[in-house]
Amino acid sequence: RQPLSPCVAGERLCSTEEATAGSGTYTRHGFIFSSLAGCLERTNEDSELPVVSVVRDSESQLLPNVGAVVTCKVCSINSRFAKVHILYVGSTPLKSTFRGTIRREDIRATEKDKVEVYKSFRPSDIVLAKVISLGDAQSNYLLSTAENELGVVVARSEAGVQMVPISWCEMQCPRTHTKEFRKVARVQPQFLQT
Amino acid sequence: PRARLLCGPGLRRSGAGLLVTKCGLLRHRPAGGGAYWVDSQQKRYVPVKGDHVIGIVTAKAGDVFRLDVGGSEPASLSYLAFEGATKRNRPNLQVGDLVYGQFVVANKDMEPEMVCIDSSGKSSGMGIIGQDGFLFKVSLGLIRKLLAPKCEIIQELSQLYPFELVLGMNGRIWVKAKTVQQTLIIVNILEACEYMTAQQRKQALAKLSGN
Repeated sequence: RQPLSPCVAGERLCSTEEATAGSGTYTRHGFIFSSLAGCLERTNEDSELPVVSVVRDSESQLLPNVGAVVTCKVCSINSRFAKVHILYVGSTPLKSTFRGTIRREDIRATEKDKVEVYKSFRPSDIVLAKVISLGDAQSNYLLSTAENELGVVVARSEAGVQMVPISWCEMQCPRTHTKEFRKVARVQPQFLQT
Repeated sequence: PRARLLCGPGLRRSGAGLLVTKCGLLRHRPAGGGAYWVDSQQKRYVPVKGDHVIGIVTAKAGDVFRLDVGGSEPASLSYLAFEGATKRNRPNLQVGDLVYGQFVVANKDMEPEMVCIDSSGKSSGMGIIGQDGFLFKVSLGLIRKLLAPKCEIIQELSQLYPFELVLGMNGRIWVKAKTVQQTLIIVNILEACEYMTAQQRKQALAKLSGN
């Protein structure tokens, strides 16, 4: 690799005939521009053209893509949607949390109009969800739990004790024996640890 | 034979025993398998689903009214949640009006929602409270006492003057009598009933009806 040189967002790097655009860059009018403020990296000729990319930190930030399974924590609920903080993408933790939204109609795959957000999620639940869209201008990822393997994984009861799932829609507190409604994820047996 | 024991407000099950979560007097009712609960004094209201309360309209936001019910958050009331309300026929609610309704959604994680109709679509006494009258706040224990069937206080007061009374579980009472003076007398008696014994109350009412 060539030695790194700093560049700012919007800086014109080179033309598309000399190199192909990599991560952190975009092409306009036949030229490659940088979209981040960071260090310019240019890979040597592997196939035909070198790849030009801009890197911000030494490790590249993993962004959730459409279709990725993410682990998030519910921060607030509403009668129409639940707001979450995205903590992990796949199995890698994120350095800064992103915000996501799970709409009421994306919680379940069947009987979408009978869903009650209060009976599916509560604040401070850990939820497995899938990204369905990168979101609108407020940078809220749009998430969905409309599959059997997605939903609440860890939840605490009103008494503060971690609950045990008993069906796909109920969890029970081991101390007070009260049942609470959640949309429970069916975790694959190989990932369960007892 | 083992019977089911009911664990009422102020108590919580913990492992094999019961924990007390509020301070007050422990009460027991042996009927129907037995029930234990804690009677406590409280002035601050916490919204509970199904409670009938008096709310004050603070804002109109689109097709939803924001009401102050004395809880930690303002409650929302949709304009369609009145008897006979349609998208064309909106209820005539202004900021500052009083509304008597019940909660359909009330928990610690979400904003409370109220309606002024019951499950069959009839208003059954709920809705906008009319002009005039007097709204004041008392403790929640007094409201529960007044709502008990055959409450002595209300029977004695009704022999004094005729009046209209709305009791909200959030500690708010609305009274309207024929004149302002009669209304204020009833307000003062109801506020004092918190601390008066039955004997003192009968004396005060006898003095008033003698005048």
